[in-house]
Amino acid sequence: MNARFTPSRQEDLPLITGQGHFTADHNYPGMLHAYVIRSMHAHARITQLNLDAVRAYPGVRWVATAENLNALGAGTIANPVTVKGKQGEDQIQALMPLLAEDTVRFVGQPIAMVFAVSALGAQDAAELAEIEFEVLEASVDPDKTTLSTAVQLHPNAPRNVSVHFSSGDAEPVNAAFAKAAHTSQLRVLSQRLMGVPMEPRAVVAIHDAATGVTTVHTPHQGILGMRNFLAMASGASPESLKIDANDVGGSFGLRGGAYTEHAALVLAARQFGCAVSWVGSRSEIFLSDWHGRALILNGEIALDAEGGILAIRFKDRVDAGAYNCMMSTFIGTRNLSITMGGVYQVPALYMESEVVYTNTTPVSAYRGAGRPDIAYAIERLVDFAAHEHGFDPIALRRKNFIPENAFPYKTANGSTIDTCLSGKLLDRALELSDYAGFEKRRAQSVSQGKYRGIGLSTFLEASGAGNAPKDQAWGEFNANGFLYVYGVTGPSGQGHSTSFASIIEKALGWPADRVRYEAGNAKHKLLGNGTGGSRSLYGAGSAILAMCHKMLESIKPHASKTLGVDIDRLHFENGVWVADGLSVSTETVVDALASEEKTALNALGEASSGATYPNGCHIAEVEIDPTTGVTDLLHYCAVDDLGQVISPQLDRGQVHGGVVQGWDKRFVNRWCTTTKASC
Amino acid sequence: MTPISLNINGNAHTVEVQDRALLADVLRDNLKLTGTHIGCDTSQCGCCTILMNGDAVKSCTVLAVQADGARITTIEGLAKGPDLHPIQVAFSQCHGLQCGFCTPGMIMATAGLLSNTPQPTDAQIHEGLSGNLCRCTGYIHIVESVKQAAKAMQELPV
Repeated sequence: MNARFTPSRQEDLPLITGQGHFTADHNYPGMLHAYVIRSMHAHARITQLNLDAVRAYPGVRWVATAENLNALGAGTIANPVTVKGKQGEDQIQALMPLLAEDTVRFVGQPIAMVFAVSALGAQDAAELAEIEFEVLEASVDPDKTTLSTAVQLHPNAPRNVSVHFSSGDAEPVNAAFAKAAHTSQLRVLSQRLMGVPMEPRAVVAIHDAATGVTTVHTPHQGILGMRNFLAMASGASPESLKIDANDVGGSFGLRGGAYTEHAALVLAARQFGCAVSWVGSRSEIFLSDWHGRALILNGEIALDAEGGILAIRFKDRVDAGAYNCMMSTFIGTRNLSITMGGVYQVPALYMESEVVYTNTTPVSAYRGAGRPDIAYAIERLVDFAAHEHGFDPIALRRKNFIPENAFPYKTANGSTIDTCLSGKLLDRALELSDYAGFEKRRAQSVSQGKYRGIGLSTFLEASGAGNAPKDQAWGEFNANGFLYVYGVTGPSGQGHSTSFASIIEKALGWPADRVRYEAGNAKHKLLGNGTGGSRSLYGAGSAILAMCHKMLESIKPHASKTLGVDIDRLHFENGVWVADGLSVSTETVVDALASEEKTALNALGEASSGATYPNGCHIAEVEIDPTTGVTDLLHYCAVDDLGQVISPQLDRGQVHGGVVQGWDKRFVNRWCTTTKASC
Repeated sequence: MTPISLNINGNAHTVEVQDRALLADVLRDNLKLTGTHIGCDTSQCGCCTILMNGDAVKSCTVLAVQADGARITTIEGLAKGPDLHPIQVAFSQCHGLQCGFCTPGMIMATAGLLSNTPQPTDAQIHEGLSGNLCRCTGYIHIVESVKQAAKAMQELPV
């Protein structure tokens, strides 16, 4: 009952046979195991922290507190993006200590870490911790946290505001609203949720005293981001950290930087000279992985009498959680403003957002990180305005689409959108969803006692330009005839190896199954961005394409020799070298080389890609049983402009996954925090 | 510590375990069979699914001592040498995996499903895999994988 086959992705064979290598699979001899003691209170002062019994428990090697880690030079969790406020004022920052010093500000905040010879032993010991709290009033509602009645979380942040940001020019927007024939306003909640990659967050650190380098196995989205943010948190130099992950079990934005456990394990590994492991339980990860979304978007739209959009403005509330960690500022400012006009030609745009603190888990990037949220809010606002003022929602959209001949299009608050074919995408979505037949289907549902609804949304997102100014890729042949390609962007299920190999096969004429992609080989010291913001394929992929073009130049003299033709007459087309009616493949040329000639073939490619603007139109049709409230998603139609398609099957998989996480957000995933006993 | 005997992927093992040790941890930590993954602590994700005496079970919900004397198949034991099981082939060909963390559990749950229900309907597939979570694929290609595997297993000589 068994079969031989060729896997459809390079990544598949180990993963379907149990030979994958995820972080928790590392099991070094003599490895210590860590357990985190966390806060069970949303806001409390630690009045006593007695860990003597924990330290005395058999098998315990170390109990780390804030004092210990600070003595070892620890920093804080990174807050890489800060912005100026609307009056030009500096942003107030509340940086998260690795372990709480005297106050805890969210349930799940790390207080101490136990290091023992077994994972269960560390957990057993942790139960002996004697911690006394003075419980403080907690502020958990982002709407109310700025009121004078709310408790202040940080001494340097009055009204619990980190920054009051603005984008665009308020004056023309106000003028447009003053003369508008119709206006509508809508509050859209993009609720706090959990990203939940299937592989729980985990870290295994091992220190090499001879080289002074600590290797850190951990799920990540790109080595440079993780390494630099881990350096900030641990106090170690970036050069002394090597980030490694063979397989990453999903990321969704959460794996971009270091958490407490990463930094504490680096410090522990250096102190003890042995491997140290921490593998999060799902329960504690719910509490301590950065949460996503947590945005309140108050939109207003001004229309002329014919339905032309005159202006859009937003006043947003951005819940950063208890501290500024990682990307919350970026989400709440840049990402909410950059595409705030959506797919529409809007003459005047203005937004303000307040980034605020609450006694909740810090928020960072999750799938789109503010961009899907604002896209959703715009569409809800346009739809709402259409219904409020008697316009057909499809016609209103179509009337206001940015015209196809207007690209590149500069928005009123400064974004330059490369392309967006909204009309065509809408037409296709209407056709695929049989939008015209909806009323007939609704009548059928009604006859069966059900409600039926159809929802349509266009969207426009800015993909991640990335922090690094360019992406680099290094390619080199080994003596066994494999082309090894190194880059920064780390895969977590997207199929980077397969897609990059596909680019190489086409550009270089070298078979995809003889390409190996590796993220994070430190010896090449490459620049580049991590996986995030839908950028890897065009960003790192462009660098790989550039690498191929350079590699062709290195191969050309050999091809000339193989064919026995003058190099000037030789050219490369459709994957083969041709001259004077003769042709030879790159594979034949390279395979015939001596080992030292093969290994001398290498090339560095680089590309500066900036942001692109993925867009599309999705239509969902649901039926609701009014007696039970059960909602069936009957049909979902996704029309996306993906740009250049490299791997159609992988693209379908990515869209399916994205759509179902969208469903998850609507129907399943909501993190609810309340100071009352019910929610 | 209690000694237990297990037949895992056709090989006999005797291991000393704590009474509280979970089968999933013993497979991973004592026997180094790390293809069985642990994705939750509430028995919801299904990443740790194995076959125990032919039935698909979540090994995080079985005490190792309960498995004493059991015949266990893990993801590592599904293929026979270089020949992959049709379920493994189908998951790759239908792109039923992305990050791959849930995949061993999905494949083993499918093995349990198809041994009891060789030609499942869509509803039976949904029910059969309802104890396994995936955050990457959106499940569409997973369901296709199960269908293709069922078809391939029907067509292969027993």
